[in-house]
Amino acid sequence: MSQSPHHKGEQPLLSLTGIQKTFPNGTVALRGVDFAAYAGSVHGLLGANGAGKSTLIKILSATYPATGGKQVWKGQEVAFNSPLEANKSGIATIHQNIPLVPTLSVLENVFLWKERGWRRDPSDQIRFAEICDEVGYHINPNDLVNDLSIGARQMVCILQALSYGADLIVMDEPTASLAKEEREIVYSTVRKLAGQGKGIIFVSHFLDEIVALTDEVTVLRDGKTVMYAVTAEVAEADIANAIAGRTVGTLEHLRNVRGTIRDEVVLECTDIASPEGLLPTNLTLRAGEVVGIAGLLGSGRSELVHAIFGSDKHASGKVVMNGQTMGRSPSQSVKAGMALVPEDRDQQAIVPVFEIWKNNSLPYLDKTAKHGIFLQRDVEMEWAERAIETLKIKTDSAETFVTELSGGNAQKVTVSRWLFGDAKLIILDEPTAGIDVGAKADILALVRKLAADGVAIIIISSEFEEILAVSDRILVMRDGAVVAERDSKDVDDQTLILLASGISATDMAKAPQKEGIQNA
Amino acid sequence: MLKSDWKRHFGLREAGVYYALILLMITLGVVTSLSGRPPYFSPVNITNILYQSSMIALMGVAMTVVLITGNFDLSVGSVAALGAAISVALAGPMGFGAAAIIALVACGMVGALNGAIVQLLGINAFIVTLGTLTGIRGLVLILTNGRSLIVSTPEAKAQMVAFEGGRVPIQMLLIVAGILLIVWFGVRLLRARRTGTHVDVGVPGAIVAGAAMLLTAFWGGAELGVAKPVIYTAIYTAIVWGVLSYTTIGRRVYATGGNPIAARLSGVNVGVYKMAGFVLSSATAGFAGILFGSRLGAVNPTALQGAELTVIAAAILGGTSLFGGAGSVIKTLVGALLLFTLTNGFNILNLGANYQGVIEGTVVVAAAAIYTVGGSRRKKAMA
Repeated sequence: MSQSPHHKGEQPLLSLTGIQKTFPNGTVALRGVDFAAYAGSVHGLLGANGAGKSTLIKILSATYPATGGKQVWKGQEVAFNSPLEANKSGIATIHQNIPLVPTLSVLENVFLWKERGWRRDPSDQIRFAEICDEVGYHINPNDLVNDLSIGARQMVCILQALSYGADLIVMDEPTASLAKEEREIVYSTVRKLAGQGKGIIFVSHFLDEIVALTDEVTVLRDGKTVMYAVTAEVAEADIANAIAGRTVGTLEHLRNVRGTIRDEVVLECTDIASPEGLLPTNLTLRAGEVVGIAGLLGSGRSELVHAIFGSDKHASGKVVMNGQTMGRSPSQSVKAGMALVPEDRDQQAIVPVFEIWKNNSLPYLDKTAKHGIFLQRDVEMEWAERAIETLKIKTDSAETFVTELSGGNAQKVTVSRWLFGDAKLIILDEPTAGIDVGAKADILALVRKLAADGVAIIIISSEFEEILAVSDRILVMRDGAVVAERDSKDVDDQTLILLASGISATDMAKAPQKEGIQNA
Repeated sequence: MLKSDWKRHFGLREAGVYYALILLMITLGVVTSLSGRPPYFSPVNITNILYQSSMIALMGVAMTVVLITGNFDLSVGSVAALGAAISVALAGPMGFGAAAIIALVACGMVGALNGAIVQLLGINAFIVTLGTLTGIRGLVLILTNGRSLIVSTPEAKAQMVAFEGGRVPIQMLLIVAGILLIVWFGVRLLRARRTGTHVDVGVPGAIVAGAAMLLTAFWGGAELGVAKPVIYTAIYTAIVWGVLSYTTIGRRVYATGGNPIAARLSGVNVGVYKMAGFVLSSATAGFAGILFGSRLGAVNPTALQGAELTVIAAAILGGTSLFGGAGSVIKTLVGALLLFTLTNGFNILNLGANYQGVIEGTVVVAAAAIYTVGGSRRKKAMA
C-alpha cells in the first residue's frame, strides 16, 4: 500500500499489497488486502465475521500461503513456508485459542520453541526474568499453565513471543474472553511494547478499545481493505460504518414483513442468570414475535439461550414456557415446544455418523415412529424430503451424510429438524455464521415465515444487519447483561455496533434505555 | 449414490469380519480334510465352537451397546464371576430361580454404580471400570473366602444343569426361523422394490441369514442340536439387534454416542441412555456368570479372569468404534465366533497353544488397522 502520511519516509516492518486467498474448494476469503505495520505503532485490524481477518492472520503467521499479492518483510519480499520460519524471522502470532501446553510450567511453555538444550536450562530462567522486567509483568515461572487464568495465559503467550525476539506481534482478539482487570494488563503491555519499538497488530471486535489503544486502523470487509485511518483522526461512527458496509439488498425486503405479534405470551423468564457469564435478566416473548439479540462473542448471548433452554445446569432463575415452569432439562424443554439451533454446528448440532434423514428426525423421533417406539423409515424419509425442499438443501439425496454437505447446507439441516414438531419457540444461535449469502437469505426468510405462523423466535447474530432484517425487537448484550432494548424500526446497524462494542456516554444519553428489560 | 452405498456395505471396513470368518472356515475345512485331522465341518465341531463362544458373545453384545454409547466397560469379567458366585452360593438355600434373580439384580447394581460414577462425577469410564474390575474381583474373593464354591443341594444342582446343560434339537427351530426371516424380509424387499424406496442392507442380510439357517438345518439333519447357552445368546442378540435397528431407543443410543452434546440439545436424555448401557452390560455379564456357574455347579474365585479382554476383542473385531456412535451386535457375534474358531483351529490342527496368543493378537490389531485405515480413506475421499 502507499505510504501513510503518518509514517513519512519510514520503512514499514511489514507491508502487504493485494493479498489474495482462494481455498482449494473455491471459497474466496481475501480479494486484495493492503496493509502495513510499522515499528512502534499499534495497528488495529477490524472487520465483521467472515470479513477475512482470521484468514489474513493465518497468512501473516504462515499457517497457510497466500494465493496472490506481495508480502514485504523488512524491505525484502518473502513467502514463509511454515509458522516456525515466520517466528524465526521475527513475526509472532498470538492466536485466539492460546496454544499452550497446560501440563507444562510457564517457563517451559515460554521456551517451548527451542529445539535444543536441556529442559532445565538456567539461562532460560535469566532470560525469562529479563523479559518479565521488559514488559513489567511478573509471574512465577514454575506455575503450571493449567492453573492460570485465561488472562495470565494470554500474557504467557506474549512472553513467549518476546522470548524469540519478535519484532512484530500479531494479536488475534486477545481480550475477547478476558475480565476487565485482565484487559488492562494486556493494554498496558501492548503500549509498553510499542514504546520499545515493536510493531503490534491488534485484532478486536471492541471498538472502544481499538479507539483507546491503537495508532492506526484498517478495516476489512468481504476480503478487501475498505478503510485505513489514523485512529486519532477518525470518528467511531465512521469505523462502524466501514465495518457494516451497505445493507445487502437481499435482506432489505424482509424489513417490510412485520405485524405478526399475537397476544399470547409464549415465554416468560424471570431473573435468569448463569455463573458462566450471564447477569440476572428478564425476558418476555409473545407468539409470532422475533427478538434479535445483538452481541459480540463473549457478551453472554449464548449463555442466555442455554439458560432459557435448560442446557445450562448451573443457571438460576425461572423459565415459564406456555404456562409451564421448566426444570433444567433440554428434553423437557423440547417436549414443551422449545427448539434450539446451537452456535457450534459440528460440536453441538450434527451427529456425524448419521445421514441427513437421521439428523433431521432426531428431536421429534417419537412423532415419526409407530406408537412412539418402532421406527418408520418411510415417514422419516418423507420428513427429510420435505426439509430438503423447504430449505432448498443442496444434496443428491437424504442418504448423504451431513458431514459431506457444505457449511450452509449442513446448517440448514440443523434448522430444518425443528420444523416438524410443532415448536412454539425457536432459538437460533448464530444460524448464519460462516455460511454463504444464499443460505443466509433462505434461513432468514424462514424465520419471518415461522413468525407469521405464530412461532416465537429468538435470533442471535454477530451480523447486525441480519438481526435488523428479521427482528421486531432487539436486545443488545455486552458483558453478560442486556444493555439496551430497541424497536428494530428505530435503530440502524451503526448504532447497534456502537451499543454492542462499547457505547460512549453521549450515545447512551441520546438513546435512553426502554422499559421492559431490567438488569440487576 | 446407491451404488457407492452398496460398495461401502460390502467393503472391508463394513463386512471385513464376515470375510475373515468365511476365509478362516474354508481354510480350516480344506486343511483338516487334506491332512487327515478330525474334520472341521462336522456338526459336533461346529456346535462346539458355538457353545464355547456363546458366553463371550453374550457379553460382547452388551459391550457393543456400551461402546456405542461412547463408554467402556472393563468390569464384565469380574461382574460375571460375581454373578456366578452369588448364584452358586444361594442356589442351595434359596432355590436356583431366586438365586439367579438376586445375582442378576446385584450385577445390575454394579452397572448402576459404574454408570453413576462415570455420569455424575465425570470420571473416565476406562478408569472407573478398571477400578470395579479389581474391586468386584475382591468382593468375589470375600464371598467365596478364596475357595471354590459348590452348590450345596442336589436339587439345586439339578435345576442348574437343566438350565445350562443338554442339547436342544434345532432343526425345526432353524427351519421355522429361516422361513420366517425369508418371508418377512422378502416381503419388505419386494414392497421396497415396488415403491422404489431405499433398501436397508439389513434386509438382504436377513434373507441371506435365513437361507443359511435352512441350509444348516438340512446339512445337520434331525440330530443337529446345540447347547442351551447358544439358544439364549441367539435370542438375546436378536432382541438387542431389533431394538437397536428398529426402535427409537436404538436410534437414540447411536445418537448418544455419535455426538452426546448434539443429542442432548435435541432433547435426548443422554444420561439415561449412558447409564442404561452400563446396567445392561453388567446385568448381561451377571447372566453369563449364572450360565458359567451352572455349567459345573461350582465356581472358583478366579473364574473368568481376563474374559473382559476377549469380550472387547470380539466387539473390536466386529468393527465397533471405541469413540462411540457405531457398532453392530451381529458383527460382534461374528467377531466372537472368529476368535473361538481360531482357538478351535489350533486344537484340531494340533498346533500347540503356544502360538495361539501371537495369532489372536495379530488378528485383533490387523482388524483394527483395517477399520482405521479404511475409515480415514473414506474421510479423505469425502474431502
